[in-house]
Amino acid sequence: MKLFVKVFATLRKKYPEVNDLNPLVLEVKKGITISEILEQLGFAISEIHLFLLNGKKVDAKTIINDNESILSLFPPVGGG
Amino acid sequence: MNKWLQINLTTKEMKDFTVSEEILRKFIGGKGVAVNLLWEYAKGLEDKGVSIKEINPLSPENMLIFATGPVTGTKSPNSGRHHVMSLISPLTGSIGSGNSGGRWGAKLKFAGYDGIMIVGKADKPVYLSIIDGIAELKDASEIWGKNSLETSTWLRNKEDKKRAGVSCIGQAGENLVPMAVIINEEHRAAGRTGLGAVMGSKNLKAIIVDGDKKPRIAKQDKFEGKVREHVEKLKENGVTGQGLPEYGTAVLVNIINQNGLFPTNNWQVGVNEKAELISGETLTEQYLISKHPCWGCVVACGRKTRVDSGNYKLTYTEGPEYEAIWALGGSTGINDMGAVIRANHYCDIFGMDPISIGSTIAAAMELNEKGHIPEDDLQGIDLTFGNVDAVVELTWMAAFRQGLGYWIGEGSRKMCQHYGAPDLSMEVKGLEMPAYDPRGAKGIGLNYATANRGGCHVTGYTIAAEILGDIDRFTVEGKAELTKIFQDFTSIVNSSVNCLFLTFALGLDEYAEMIGPITGWEVNADELLETGERITNLERMLINKLGITGKDDTLPKRLLDEKMPAGPSEGQTVDLATMKQEYYELRGWRDGIPTAEKIQELGLD
Repeated sequence: MKLFVKVFATLRKKYPEVNDLNPLVLEVKKGITISEILEQLGFAISEIHLFLLNGKKVDAKTIINDNESILSLFPPVGGG
Repeated sequence: MNKWLQINLTTKEMKDFTVSEEILRKFIGGKGVAVNLLWEYAKGLEDKGVSIKEINPLSPENMLIFATGPVTGTKSPNSGRHHVMSLISPLTGSIGSGNSGGRWGAKLKFAGYDGIMIVGKADKPVYLSIIDGIAELKDASEIWGKNSLETSTWLRNKEDKKRAGVSCIGQAGENLVPMAVIINEEHRAAGRTGLGAVMGSKNLKAIIVDGDKKPRIAKQDKFEGKVREHVEKLKENGVTGQGLPEYGTAVLVNIINQNGLFPTNNWQVGVNEKAELISGETLTEQYLISKHPCWGCVVACGRKTRVDSGNYKLTYTEGPEYEAIWALGGSTGINDMGAVIRANHYCDIFGMDPISIGSTIAAAMELNEKGHIPEDDLQGIDLTFGNVDAVVELTWMAAFRQGLGYWIGEGSRKMCQHYGAPDLSMEVKGLEMPAYDPRGAKGIGLNYATANRGGCHVTGYTIAAEILGDIDRFTVEGKAELTKIFQDFTSIVNSSVNCLFLTFALGLDEYAEMIGPITGWEVNADELLETGERITNLERMLINKLGITGKDDTLPKRLLDEKMPAGPSEGQTVDLATMKQEYYELRGWRDGIPTAEKIQELGLD
């Protein structure tokens, strides 16, 4: 199934062309975990502070079952 | 040190005074002491039969205070800041309050003073210089009418102090625009609530400060050890050590949008398809010159920026911050970074609040969309969401009170009332809410509703926990306690005076480790939290005197009644009633008023 992956802030150093308007498009097996996807992408779990799957906060153990899901990955960010 | 300057601009009388050790112990400094001085002033007026509710905020009777705290100007990280307050805000009718970075706060300390308390009105434009302990009022006729860049350069040359701190108003403050701010170091602001208009109403153009007096540290060795530890913690923390220095606060655009609470088209929806174009990543790639720290700062979230192409070229400016980008570029739907930077630059040089300006322009766009603005009032401006020129033009026009810019400067509450659609104003107590839709994070909604100065995010920035941390953002459970703790901790930050962003890495234990060795007091985290609660409560008692109570602790109807129509926060509204009831119980307030028991418990009687 298709998975859209968006990376933000310092995570873009590895994927400089990827942004909100231009996500990574991956072909993955149904039931894959997020930590397996991170491995595929070359990210350590510790690099990611926030995982959003279709806008909902999840964690690295979460399984992806829906086709054309959107996974957004953020490092530690803040502001105010 | 403990030396404050009292000024009556009407009589030109100036004298030094000290704040009692008892007050310092109970209120620390900075905002805490300022709130105390305002309270004493208000009581004094009441004894003379004057109700502060009746005072015109642009009259000589309004009091303006510039304050630093015990940590300001020391080697403790990020301690160049200062806090400014006015008894009444010309924008909101509640208290005026703002906190600013740069170097001015440290320089005031080095000039020999902890704070300045100002009433009255000069008969013609003046500026105040405090150099090496000597305070003088001088003629400002040559700089009246000049923007913050020209004013600051002129003053530093005139006083021959190239590294002085300069706090000033631009033309917006001179023109008494209700959302005018006070600008220091050209691009930092004691922003929000119209402090610039109060300063302008006093004919006070600027305050220039410099000197080399070093702050006194009671336990030097212990202090230096703790400073090293705190700097290490800040460098190791992902937010303060990497995220903020690399991308600035603008990094929040994408994260807030991905969570579906990025208010777009005047809060009609929480997702913006083109947010990437005004994101921190875009700012860094295409507009950044370099990062820029305030005085004594180890984070460097500040941005030096430029615009190289398009209609809004600029060789040098600073910012914009997340909330300014949101207001000018997101809420208006223009999604144009060059225009946002230009409009933000105008806010810096003319001295206005970009959050209030942008949010009010967006409200005007919705007013026009729904047919509430007569064509003549538009004076040819195509006031629709997404019109880039309209945002830039109206920002300029607001500073000079021209055309529709007059109503933009008045703020969205008065503007929407004037045009017969008050529900389109997205503010609380008259202060426009920034860039986080509470339907996507319920705690920030409670904070917006209850913050003493109005719809303010920094008063109790629960977003740090609800979006950037692990707390469930959609539940109302636990949000009352979360909000109270954030608000009271922030009161301590504003009274120490240092930078709120330290709190991503440092907690109240670390604040005790700063304040204790500097002052020689034995303080711990629990005592500081209670002190913060005391400061928040005294400020609340002041706004009660201004007629602000539980009825004003509310949110716009859109957020209470209209379900978020789309995106990751779809279907949500804000159950404010539940949170508010729990919050009042925790606070010991009844209908937004501290009870006699709470007042006594905090030693405020």
